[in-house]
Amino acid sequence: MGTRFAASQVLRWTLRHATHSVFGPLQFGRCQLQPLCAGGRLLCSSTSQGTLQSPQHTHEPHHLSRQPVRELSLPSLVDMGFTDSQAEQIYDATSKLRGTSASKHALSTLTTMFVLGLNPSSVLKILEKCPELYTINELQLQQRIGNMRKLGLVEGSLQRVVSHFPQILTVPVKTVKHMVLFLREKCQFTSQQVTDILRDSPAVILEDNEQLEYKFQYVYYRMGVKQADMVKSRLFRYTLEEVRCRHCFLERRGLYQTPDKKGQTTIINSKLDSILKIDLDTFLTDVANGSAEEYEVFQRLMAREWQEEEQLQGSIEAGSDDEEEDEEDEEDDEETSGKSAYRKRRKR
Amino acid sequence: MALLMETRLLLRKVKDLRCLTQKRHRVKEKWAATRIKHPATGLALQNFDSTYSVQLGPLWPSVRAALLSERKYGALLNNYGHDDVQAELQAKGCKDFPSDIETEAQPCLEQEPAVAGEEESSHVSVNKSDLDAQQLPALQLSPNIKCLVFPRGDITRFKPARPDMFGCLGYYLMDAASVLPCLALNVQEGHNVLDLCAAPGGKTLALLQTKSIGFFGVNDTSVSRTTRLRKVLHSYVPKPLLSDEKLRITTFDGTKWGEIEKNTFDRVLVDVPCTTDRHSLMEDDNNIFSKNRTGERRRLPQLQLDLLLAGIEAACPGGEILYSTCTLSQIQNLSVVEQAIHTAREDHGIQLQVVDLRPLTHMFRKTFDFAPDLPLGEMVVPHLAANFGPIYMCKLRRLT
Repeated sequence: MGTRFAASQVLRWTLRHATHSVFGPLQFGRCQLQPLCAGGRLLCSSTSQGTLQSPQHTHEPHHLSRQPVRELSLPSLVDMGFTDSQAEQIYDATSKLRGTSASKHALSTLTTMFVLGLNPSSVLKILEKCPELYTINELQLQQRIGNMRKLGLVEGSLQRVVSHFPQILTVPVKTVKHMVLFLREKCQFTSQQVTDILRDSPAVILEDNEQLEYKFQYVYYRMGVKQADMVKSRLFRYTLEEVRCRHCFLERRGLYQTPDKKGQTTIINSKLDSILKIDLDTFLTDVANGSAEEYEVFQRLMAREWQEEEQLQGSIEAGSDDEEEDEEDEEDDEETSGKSAYRKRRKR
Repeated sequence: MALLMETRLLLRKVKDLRCLTQKRHRVKEKWAATRIKHPATGLALQNFDSTYSVQLGPLWPSVRAALLSERKYGALLNNYGHDDVQAELQAKGCKDFPSDIETEAQPCLEQEPAVAGEEESSHVSVNKSDLDAQQLPALQLSPNIKCLVFPRGDITRFKPARPDMFGCLGYYLMDAASVLPCLALNVQEGHNVLDLCAAPGGKTLALLQTKSIGFFGVNDTSVSRTTRLRKVLHSYVPKPLLSDEKLRITTFDGTKWGEIEKNTFDRVLVDVPCTTDRHSLMEDDNNIFSKNRTGERRRLPQLQLDLLLAGIEAACPGGEILYSTCTLSQIQNLSVVEQAIHTAREDHGIQLQVVDLRPLTHMFRKTFDFAPDLPLGEMVVPHLAANFGPIYMCKLRRLT
């Protein structure tokens, strides 16, 4: 609807002014742009936008060819390489944003995606997965991508990460840096390992630090697995519950032991790889030698056990907090003599 | 002061109350110093790993996982209670397992003529045959025992029982597999029954539910445990039924029973002290695998043998003896029974016949997992979906 309106506006405007000087470049631009489209999509998209203007811009003829375009229209999307239906989908998605301040970022987002070398269909998929991307401003987006490059995600990996987990572009650079620092300092991964983690399980960025540290320590201390194996088995793709449940199942069946100080066990533990990276049925038949019925009941039992443990932990911590406060009070008494007299009286 | 110290110790013992102890009085567990290098539970696990992996073979990992996970309970229904607890529990999805038996694929055989006379209707007497129509001898169970359990795979817990208006508790929570020896004992009207190692009282209570015991001798060597047993009985059974002429609670050495009362009882339950596998894996307190109880643990098989022999002597000719333990260990189960049969014949001139309990396992295979192909007696093995047991039982009939 909007495009038709735009087109008619253009027509009306050209008829009214009837100046060839304006119509000429417009025509010229179109003709010139067709071959360009094949070569550089970026160039194509921004300029073809320029030619097919939305109403408010068409009123100012001099801005027409220079000013970068703010709003998307269907034909422009088609020009970018989207098929008709794809263009419609994107148009529908952006039309909700139309008129808001965020709307002007939609185009830059698309541009950035194309600059990354992604084809239209994958761009569409990414935006369907994560519509928030439409609203992020260009500078931030560039910074975030730049940061990921800096972290060692080379061309190819970068595109894969973005298309698998587009949410990573919604995370501020600062958060990513914090997480990387955390992985390197608290968990002692090497920078290459951090890169691998980001590539294989980018969702780690959005996880809670404390949870992540617990998961790491569980695998490091309870299971005695070193960082290299964690990266190899893509540990961070799995939830703590999954890891813990499979490990405990093996441990209680006598098939897994926590290594001692020297890293020795009396039985040969399965590799983390063969515990996590396989589907449940294979895990049960090949590794645990158990039945699905057993594992299903075990999962429920474990969930209850941990829930109760957490509750107990919580109640103890709550109790100790009270205590600490009391102790602090007492210390205060000794330090500040003036108040202490009053307090002592009150205590009696 | 001493009192204060005591309560503090008590609080420390109870885990759930730890939050109530003040921080400065709380012992902070330190991995390096306080933690014992080889806790008794760990020793128990090591011991089981080495013996049971050989004995049970491929079954052991599954049993091990079950033993180390939360156990399941059964609610032994108190027939002396006044509330309709059964309906209440059944509404929550429980089933009375002694009556919930497999009826398909078992053509009913002829009734055993011997006991067919009295109270036929109330008896849970089921004659069974194997799947391949191989004829098995009939097996009679003790009547009136009701034990509710949640179905296989259901991990719901029971709430603690509440007293009714007369102060009687509605049900007793215990390992449902422990009810099996009582069922298998086949107590009939007017029988004299002896429970040689009765405390803490679950099986005793189950036997009392039959309401058909003439005289009930209850014994346990430990005074404190007998006190506990007494408490249990008093909170479940009305006073008149605990009168001296019907019930006698004693604290003698069970191994001497052959000298005290020979050839007296129709039914004898010998539920001997054992390595209590599940308890030994879970609790460090009072654990039989702790270093200072090694001697006691070594003497267990001999003690068990003495107790069983005493039980055999206490039974009258024709009487039945049921030997049960809560361990998987072959040395404490099969070997003890074999040895007892041998010794009874050689030293006491008593001929014994082993009663086949296979019909029982067939009947209750829906509720429990039984160890396959045991040469002597039957054993419930824990399984994650049916986490009862372990219970071993073997029934003997005295011929002379």
